[in-house]
Amino acid sequence: MLSEYEPRIVGFLCNWCGYAGADLAGTSRLSYPTNIRIIRVMCSGRVEPVFILSAFENGADGVLVAGCHPGDCHYRSGNQHAEKRIEKTKKLLDLLGIGSDRLRLEWISAAEGEKFASVIKDFTEKLRVKGPSPLGKEPKRALQPSVKEPIHDILKRTKALYCQECGKCSSSCPITRLDPAYSPRLAVEKALMGLEDAVLTDKGLWSCLTCYLCRQRCPLDIEYDELIKTCRAKATASGIAGNCSHEGVLYSLSRLMSNSETSQNRMDWIAQGVEIGKSGDVLYFVGCLPYFNVVFDDINVKHIEIAQSMLKILNAAGIKPALLENERCCGHDLSFAGDRESFERLARMNVAAINETHASTVVTTCPECYRTLKTDYAELVGQPEFEVMHASEFLTNLIEAGKIKFPGKLGMKVTYQDPCRLGRHMGVYDPPRKVIASIPGVELVDMQRSRESALCCGVSAWMGCGRHSKQMQIERLTEAKGTAADLLVTACPKCQIHLNCALSEKLPVKKEEVAIETCDLSVLVARALNQTQPLNMVEMNKK
Amino acid sequence: MSEKPSVLVIGGGIAGIQASLDLAGRGFQVYVLEETPTIGGRMAQLDKTFPTMDCSICILAPKMMECYRHPNIKLLTYSQLKEVKGAVGNFRVKIHQKPRYVDGTKCTGCGVCAEHCPVEVPNEFDMGLGMRKAIYMPMPQAVPRLMTVDKENCIECKLCTKMCRAGAVDFQQQPQDIDLKVGAIIIATGFDQYDPSEIVEYGYKKNKNVLTALEFERWVCASGPVAGHLLRPADGGIPKRIAFIQCVGSRSSKLGAPFCSSVCCMYATKEALIIREHTPDVQVYIFYNELRAFGKGFQEFVNRAKSEYGVKYIRSRPGEIREDYGKSLTIWYDDTLTREIKSLEDVDLVVLCPALFPREGNRKLAGILGIELDNCGFFKVVHPLLAPVDTTVPGIYVCGYCQSPKDIPDSVAQASAAAARAAEALTLVQVQSME
Repeated sequence: MLSEYEPRIVGFLCNWCGYAGADLAGTSRLSYPTNIRIIRVMCSGRVEPVFILSAFENGADGVLVAGCHPGDCHYRSGNQHAEKRIEKTKKLLDLLGIGSDRLRLEWISAAEGEKFASVIKDFTEKLRVKGPSPLGKEPKRALQPSVKEPIHDILKRTKALYCQECGKCSSSCPITRLDPAYSPRLAVEKALMGLEDAVLTDKGLWSCLTCYLCRQRCPLDIEYDELIKTCRAKATASGIAGNCSHEGVLYSLSRLMSNSETSQNRMDWIAQGVEIGKSGDVLYFVGCLPYFNVVFDDINVKHIEIAQSMLKILNAAGIKPALLENERCCGHDLSFAGDRESFERLARMNVAAINETHASTVVTTCPECYRTLKTDYAELVGQPEFEVMHASEFLTNLIEAGKIKFPGKLGMKVTYQDPCRLGRHMGVYDPPRKVIASIPGVELVDMQRSRESALCCGVSAWMGCGRHSKQMQIERLTEAKGTAADLLVTACPKCQIHLNCALSEKLPVKKEEVAIETCDLSVLVARALNQTQPLNMVEMNKK
Repeated sequence: MSEKPSVLVIGGGIAGIQASLDLAGRGFQVYVLEETPTIGGRMAQLDKTFPTMDCSICILAPKMMECYRHPNIKLLTYSQLKEVKGAVGNFRVKIHQKPRYVDGTKCTGCGVCAEHCPVEVPNEFDMGLGMRKAIYMPMPQAVPRLMTVDKENCIECKLCTKMCRAGAVDFQQQPQDIDLKVGAIIIATGFDQYDPSEIVEYGYKKNKNVLTALEFERWVCASGPVAGHLLRPADGGIPKRIAFIQCVGSRSSKLGAPFCSSVCCMYATKEALIIREHTPDVQVYIFYNELRAFGKGFQEFVNRAKSEYGVKYIRSRPGEIREDYGKSLTIWYDDTLTREIKSLEDVDLVVLCPALFPREGNRKLAGILGIELDNCGFFKVVHPLLAPVDTTVPGIYVCGYCQSPKDIPDSVAQASAAAARAAEALTLVQVQSME
């Protein structure tokens, strides 16, 4: 069968060098394998990681990016930019089990027709030896099943049909306050008038954070989050897509994980001496942390530290958690972005993999995984055999049972960001606070808007990070800073990403009004476990 | 016929009072059962009534006194229903009367004992805003005019015993079980107010300047905790802006009650008028959803509030009330008519108009009486249109808010209806026994 295999290569060639080089190879009548399909881009720096991932998603065996030699970039530094991006993408390909050697970056000038031909020859040969892409030849992206439920039924199911148009949702919505063009009330009103097209084509459909504040406050318990999710699925099925931040790379990663043939390579982060098992009572569901660690390596957060801390804590409490070697994305973001098809595949594969470990408890450090595993999977595949707990709940139990003991004092004041998925969606407000309060020498001060009224971190499901998101982040950070806390503790990796992202950017406010160190709950607990003396960081802050 | 046919009326509010007076006037013996130490009910707590702007207690007190004095009415205050057996014409009722520790035949209600009592507790009649003593009279117009010892809070220093010139305080008093034979029963247990503290975004109980409507009634009432001065609760300052929020917990499937309480739009208008009459330069805002001014003279009343008193009506249920660091309040709302998200700033006092729902105790009561409740806790009637006061057991009738949401005039009208139905049943039983 191998003889029939012909590698498929997608080439992104820069207009000024790579493409001109290929042109020269052609006009010089040099022969090279026909395995490459060329896409011309203006600069190698234009090639987003998602372009490359998409190529693999759609059946490519290898991807070539070719640009100008260092120093020759038509746009001065585009190729340097490309180099960084390719490096990042290679890490992602390794994690996904596709292999970084299927991606190649070459500097080919307009005069190097020969080089172009030899690169293609060499790459094709190497790929021929390596074999076809592990993802399989055929694209795994099936068409979205159409949502047959008529809009009237959706309204009835989500109780929007009984809307009293009182405006409690719209005057609570953090987005509406910044952008009156979108409002949950007006969206419902449009749907109630039967204007299905207007609802589905409305840009506002993708602005909603599904932060649950409107639903929390709605006297009729209208399920806005569910309404938005269903309408997005309906829109997606009819070919309308939302505006994904990060050019969709995170969706692409999730979709790649939804490919049944994907066999990831995601356990590298586990430190020496940490005890884990393949099966066991407690399973730690890591979530996308290994990927976040690569994608968000430029905002001062080491995401994998969250998972490393969690293992450290569990081991300290005498637990050897099971981990899934080929754990897949929980599908939360795809589901909230309207991609039901991929979500369902992820759900079924994860549930099957968890069941294989015979775990009775699944612990997550991510509130989105928590919500998805606990409620959304149950809706789809029935009540699972395992109990799902967020780290904060699990740690509270361990602390109350005396299994975690803190040796020293931390000596700091912290404030806590309630993640929407953990707080309003799932009603978990007290466990994280209990964990924080149990650490000796830690004083917890709540922000003005906390618990049920907490302000969202500004983005959800990687949907449309824009001006309003930044404004909300500034507001939230200012509020956190206003508590005079040394540390802003989050219990959601994404809250941490979004708030830190704002801090790493140029902001329209003074840095000292917002600058506050962020830290995940499990990282804080792990630090406290190691602590016999006050944290250096606190001392540094005080200086 | 050996004894006078009699009726038990459960609840001494305006509906119970009206039903009792009607029946007593026709020559029937009436027993009024009241849980608290005084009759009067919710109406006694109100400052004024809509749409006539009568002083509430001024029109109620004569009726309360009439009940007290009527030869055919016996008041059983501070009492609870324990057991009911039998059927129409022959109900055997057991009533549990709590001891007041005050001899009703001696006490003159002079209040000297309360003056000397060292224990202060929040006054239920003032919705906990004012204080009362451990020996107390709930309100100045209480009927019967007797002191009551609140045994839970009493420290038994016996100072009251010493001070009472009539020698009325009696700590030896025991609870009493009273057995009655009645031909019919009327239920008029009224309503309870929803506690809006679980609607966290409105900050009730966290913020002193957020009151419920009944609290506000007491707050502005001349016999209330601040003698009717319109003040800001947190610091006693003079308010400049007061806002009312309608439908707090009512018409809600999640918290409070699914139905409309039916009186809030009008009492808010009334309270707005009270404010403007009291302090004319206070700006009053009413956040409403659907302005339900459906009764006789109601729309005119609202129109007058708008035109003569300058009350501002805004169609919205506000999203949140935020406190500006212990000072004034900011209300965020969506003006649903102009579709603008706005904030009303520098509000000194917010009055929440919470859902009013049937009393918690109705379930127990229904169990004792063997009658049914609907899923909202109202007493079920045989037919909502054609038999609106007949419960599911013959001889037991219902009137007032515990049957369905209604205002004072409707409660009074329904009380008369229930009285008429009870009289009919009693007469029928009499005729049958003569035959």
